[in-house]
Amino acid sequence: MRVFKTLKLATRDYKHEWQMSGCFVLALAAVLGPMLVLFGLKFGIVGGMLDQLIEDPANREIRPVGSGRYDRAWLGALRQREDVTFLVPRTRSIAATVQLKSESSSRILNAEVIPSDKGDPLLRSVEAMPDGLRSVVLSQSAASKLAVKPGDRIDGSLVRQFRGKRERVHLELNVAAIAPAAAFNRDGAFADLLLVEALEDFRDGHAVPALDWSGDESTQDRTYPSFRLYARSIYDVAELKEALTRAGVDSRTKVGDIELVMKMDRNLSTIYWAIAIIGLVGFSLSLGASLWANVDRKRKELSVLRLVGFRTGDIVWFPMIQAFYTAILGWALAVGIYQGAALAINDMLSTQLADGQQVCVLLTEHYVAALVVTVVSAVLAAALAGMRSARIAPAEGLREI
Amino acid sequence: MTNFQHTSIDNAPSKPSRDKGIIYHLRNVALDRESEGVSFRLNVPSLQIAQGEKIALIGESGCGKSTLLDILAFIGEPSQIGAFRFRPENTGEPIDVASMWDKRKLNQLGELRKRHIGYVMQTGGLLPYLTVRDNMNLSRHVLGMRDDTAIEQLARELGIARHLDKLPETLSTGERQRVAIGRALAHQPSIVIADEPTASVDPFAAEKIMSLFIGLAEDRNITVIVASHAWRHIKRLGLRRLAHHTQRSKDGRTTETVVNG
Repeated sequence: MRVFKTLKLATRDYKHEWQMSGCFVLALAAVLGPMLVLFGLKFGIVGGMLDQLIEDPANREIRPVGSGRYDRAWLGALRQREDVTFLVPRTRSIAATVQLKSESSSRILNAEVIPSDKGDPLLRSVEAMPDGLRSVVLSQSAASKLAVKPGDRIDGSLVRQFRGKRERVHLELNVAAIAPAAAFNRDGAFADLLLVEALEDFRDGHAVPALDWSGDESTQDRTYPSFRLYARSIYDVAELKEALTRAGVDSRTKVGDIELVMKMDRNLSTIYWAIAIIGLVGFSLSLGASLWANVDRKRKELSVLRLVGFRTGDIVWFPMIQAFYTAILGWALAVGIYQGAALAINDMLSTQLADGQQVCVLLTEHYVAALVVTVVSAVLAAALAGMRSARIAPAEGLREI
Repeated sequence: MTNFQHTSIDNAPSKPSRDKGIIYHLRNVALDRESEGVSFRLNVPSLQIAQGEKIALIGESGCGKSTLLDILAFIGEPSQIGAFRFRPENTGEPIDVASMWDKRKLNQLGELRKRHIGYVMQTGGLLPYLTVRDNMNLSRHVLGMRDDTAIEQLARELGIARHLDKLPETLSTGERQRVAIGRALAHQPSIVIADEPTASVDPFAAEKIMSLFIGLAEDRNITVIVASHAWRHIKRLGLRRLAHHTQRSKDGRTTETVVNG
């Protein structure tokens, strides 16, 4: 009840002195606002880079260097590893091409054929996967040159020199889907391993009964010169590469890029926290000092309250309540400043960013954290000032003007 | 080698009967203060104030008037107490203020002050963020007294009824002092202590406000203790002038005021 009386008085005083209160709020926002912008930038830039690293499957890819002879058993064992999320063998790259032609375009396209399978990280957003010998997923560039859309039929053909004769075979292919531009930036077609093997078999002069292509019987067990391998996450890349090296397979990865960003995150975090701590200390000091000074300024009024019978405990609430108002309003203004700045920064850089990517980002929990820190430090500082005001003897402030 | 000079010795012109009951009873109470190398001592060998009495403390600033008021309002802690009893109502045992100070029961002393004493400050001491009405109601609110017509009535008598809903900053100094007097009287205290209530007002208004104040207190049978540096303003209001004399050492380092009455 008495706290309620103090609340009422403190509120009325705060409103009455709106100019002074406004200055406190401004002073608070002037420190907190830039800190929010700074944190938003750090979070947005590094977070964005990390997201990109994690999102982009290219960063999880491990490419074997040169060509080897990998049999199915060896590849099967590799696929069993926990840190492997996707593995599909490659045939010789020279044999993995096909000429594509559509009815809607006069162009004949030489496309690379990329072996794919369920769970291909490059085709994550694609609805239909290539399946069997008669369907492919076209790269964006190939699809646009052929002017086709999913569901269209295109003609694939390839040529071989067989027993001194030049032979060309055709096969009708269904365009199952179009891959996103980021998946493959040249003219290419993702195909089931069966089709890729069939292309190689035909070029090698072997028969492909399933497509009625004639030739020799293949004799030896198939081995693959290479494979497409993706690690479970960017953090598994280094170890997977290490394991391959131990098995005698040299590989190329983006480990360097990943480490660079993680190092950058650490460095930026260090810099940010250094600035944030300095800012926070300065902020607390300025808040504390202004609240302290405010108590001094209100000595007389507070001693009047003491004189009419407010107890020590009631008086302490007075600056605390006002500090609470300052904290809430200052925070709100700082959030406003931040949002204006973030909007401007993101807008300024929007042309250089991917869709939906932002340079300056804060999450709800960041706003909440800022609010909690502000209110707690303001109320604490005010409590100290309040203790001081509670020690004001009732007579102390009575006789000064 | 100390050479004292007397500044004032005076006795009360009119001494009402002490039978009514003693509100304040002080014996051998002293308060020492030191500021800027000058030590000051207020010495009260014996002081009794009866209910309904109107006491005037007259003297130059720095003679200890305010210090005595602080002691009487329980806001200045005496450095030495022989006896200090307070009996705000006619009934009941006197309250032992000495032991309250001794046991540092500051909130109890605050309680006594809040219930029984009204205080008029030299500069009004109105809260700038409250209207005249709320300022006058402050002491009533703290006591949890219900709003009734007492404030309006008091405001009418003080001639500030039309200002009730204004903020103090819109009032003249004299009007603000009237509000301060209203606030000190609003919760029907037994005692009103006023420290130079008219010092910041021009002499003509001062006289008017003072006589209004004394009149209101008289109507309500409230004990009044007023400090002032100008006797002639209040001479004719029938106050008992409290005897005191101030001695200053020749080097000006120590001042002692002795109050008796």
